[in-house]
Amino acid sequence: MAGMTVIVRTIGRLLFPFLFLFGAYIIVHGQLTPGGGFQGGVVLASAVILLLLAYGMEGAQAKVNALQAELADALGGMILVWMGLMGIIVGIAFFQNVLPFGSLGQVLSAGNLPVFNLGVGIKVAASILMVFYAMLRIQGGKEE
Amino acid sequence: MIAHAPILAIVVPLFAGFLTPVVSIVAKRFGVERARDWFVMGAAILMLLIVASMAPAVWRGEVLVYKLGGWSPPWGIVLAVDGLNLLVALIIASVVSLIAIYSVVYMERDSGLEKYYTLLMLVTAGCMGVTLTGDVFNLFVFFEIMSISSYALVAFRRNWDSVEAGIKYMIIGSLGTSFILLSITLMYGLVGSLNIADLAGKIEAIKATQPLPMIVPLMLTLFVVGFGIKIAMVPLHAWLPDAYQAAPSAVSALLSGATTTVGVYAMLRVSYMLFGALAIGTMFIILGLVTMVVGGLMALTQRDLKRLLAYSSISQMGYILLGVGFGTAMGIQGGLFHLLNNAIYKVLLFMCAGAIVYRVGTSNLDELGGLGKNMPITATLFIVGALAISGVPPFNGFASKWTIYVAGMEAGQPICTAIAVVMSALTLAYFLKAINSMFLGQQPEHLREVREAPLPMLFPMLVLAVFCVVLGILPSLGMDLVRPAQGAVMNQLGYIGSVMGAG
Amino acid sequence: MSLNYIIAMLLFTLGIYCLLIKRNIVKMVIGLGVLTNGLHLFLISLGYREGGIAPILAGKMLENGATAEFAAAAVDPIPQALVLTSIVINVCTMALALSLAIYIYRHYGTLNPFKIRRLRG
Repeated sequence: MAGMTVIVRTIGRLLFPFLFLFGAYIIVHGQLTPGGGFQGGVVLASAVILLLLAYGMEGAQAKVNALQAELADALGGMILVWMGLMGIIVGIAFFQNVLPFGSLGQVLSAGNLPVFNLGVGIKVAASILMVFYAMLRIQGGKEE
Repeated sequence: MIAHAPILAIVVPLFAGFLTPVVSIVAKRFGVERARDWFVMGAAILMLLIVASMAPAVWRGEVLVYKLGGWSPPWGIVLAVDGLNLLVALIIASVVSLIAIYSVVYMERDSGLEKYYTLLMLVTAGCMGVTLTGDVFNLFVFFEIMSISSYALVAFRRNWDSVEAGIKYMIIGSLGTSFILLSITLMYGLVGSLNIADLAGKIEAIKATQPLPMIVPLMLTLFVVGFGIKIAMVPLHAWLPDAYQAAPSAVSALLSGATTTVGVYAMLRVSYMLFGALAIGTMFIILGLVTMVVGGLMALTQRDLKRLLAYSSISQMGYILLGVGFGTAMGIQGGLFHLLNNAIYKVLLFMCAGAIVYRVGTSNLDELGGLGKNMPITATLFIVGALAISGVPPFNGFASKWTIYVAGMEAGQPICTAIAVVMSALTLAYFLKAINSMFLGQQPEHLREVREAPLPMLFPMLVLAVFCVVLGILPSLGMDLVRPAQGAVMNQLGYIGSVMGAG
Repeated sequence: MSLNYIIAMLLFTLGIYCLLIKRNIVKMVIGLGVLTNGLHLFLISLGYREGGIAPILAGKMLENGATAEFAAAAVDPIPQALVLTSIVINVCTMALALSLAIYIYRHYGTLNPFKIRRLRG
């Protein structure tokens, strides 16, 4: 899929790190402000999709190719399930809080939540990216 | 019982589903592609062992309540396992293990297999989640996981017919689940809680104190329509024949054995636990009769084997609804026993159809013939399944249908029993026609070289056929399996007490 | 009946109308989206409290007595969690439906659901 004009490509290349940072900010502050895993993951995915629109499939694949997306997807899923199983190994029930609570308003607080948000964010970003890659491959006619 | 068994039964297939792409990539790097199939089979059998380990405690009469995250109900999500849940969980775990073994050979000619195994594990996780949970929104989420994975599985082969059947199934199914969400929303607005036991108690209180607000029958109707789309009750069955015909046979077996069973369980749990006896019995009897008759009559005219089996699935659902609708102890026992038997012989029949498609390449009855000489074992197993589904004596179908007939006479509805008997005879008729077209008669030229199905495909079919015969000769064995489930359906107060009391 | 019930039913009916009448699969998917968004709005509106504040705990609220005040004034957070989950499920459904629509276009050449009727019997 071909890219677009010079203006779109330059702005896309400049905006990509800021979008990525914004997505990471939403994920990390999930327990303090509205947002969290899913919302931050979608913003992360949209950063790479901006590159996809501006540069075409090759440009986006240079940043995050399909194999990395699949592995990141599995990694995110495994972080989630491991946090749950840690509840079983350490305490009484599944998904019991195992990390210390910390004080209100700090980033590293609220038990399991930051790690959980991280897992969800990585998984959602990787999944939405894989959906777009798959749809574009079908349209290009290379998929059968 | 293995510690934390209820949650592990859901987490094991979910974890296997997340790991399958990684296992597949690693296995391809090392050249051992089959490792992925063994991994999935191992996960399915592990899940079966975990579910079986819960059996002794539940059959003693206690309700296993597991609090997620340590939060007690009604503020936290609980998993509650009583007799009914355990019966359905056992059915699903066994069916999925057998289908995993069957798919190793049946699906080997398709590409993109790691997606197939991932989706299979996700459907299993969804089914287990619906079965074991005690919270109505959790049920909705797992129901959606199961449904979306099954839409993708139906369209797996990406041919013209798979895609058409897939999109039809998807649109109708999504409409159904949005009805369920609307009903949950109304329930939350009315009562303010999401735990099934808590809701049951509060709705009882509402029904007792004042004239019934219009919303309560509306909620019940929306639930019945939403779950009815999943189990293909008659006005809502339009997606089923296309989906079962176009999907790969292993997927059709999975849909008819696992997801339909889960749909019936969800409908029973919501109707009986939440709404008590709100004239539901009569509604189920009428819907069951209509489903039975329409399914059976449409099956008489089919020329394609898988479509015929699909319509007969619809017909069997009618029997289950009829049995449950009678409301008496024997009626519910008959209905649940028929649910168990339906899973067994439907999966067997679809696996036989799959064996024929694998060897011959078509399932059109006009093009098959005389295969009894080439595929003797498959023919015998298909005949066992056909006799079982028609309710012929030494097989399990007869035991459960007889229970339903007797329950009908006892409940004072002889007309229902008469219609059920006539439909059984019709079932036998169209199955005999199918057997005649496929296995007996003239053999066309191009079928001379057909060989028997390979052994890994025959093994699950043999296991299911043995169950058909054993449950038919010793029906008391089946009744022992089903009696705790029937007790659980009628013991609403015990369930509420156990779940809320554990908090 | 309060206003939120009426608007929710209106959006729901519009969604079903789109799903049944339109002659393009993409428009049917949009109808499905309108339907589920109507349900989500309804669900969120059920947790509303007059003059309420967002249910986020800040530092000052842990002093004596302030927690009870916060609990009385905040809107209900449970419907918001339910709606988040439902939005995620909706995204998956629409992604799958649109992928299937791409395949249908390739096999049938048209996106009109009334013409996609080759399976019959």
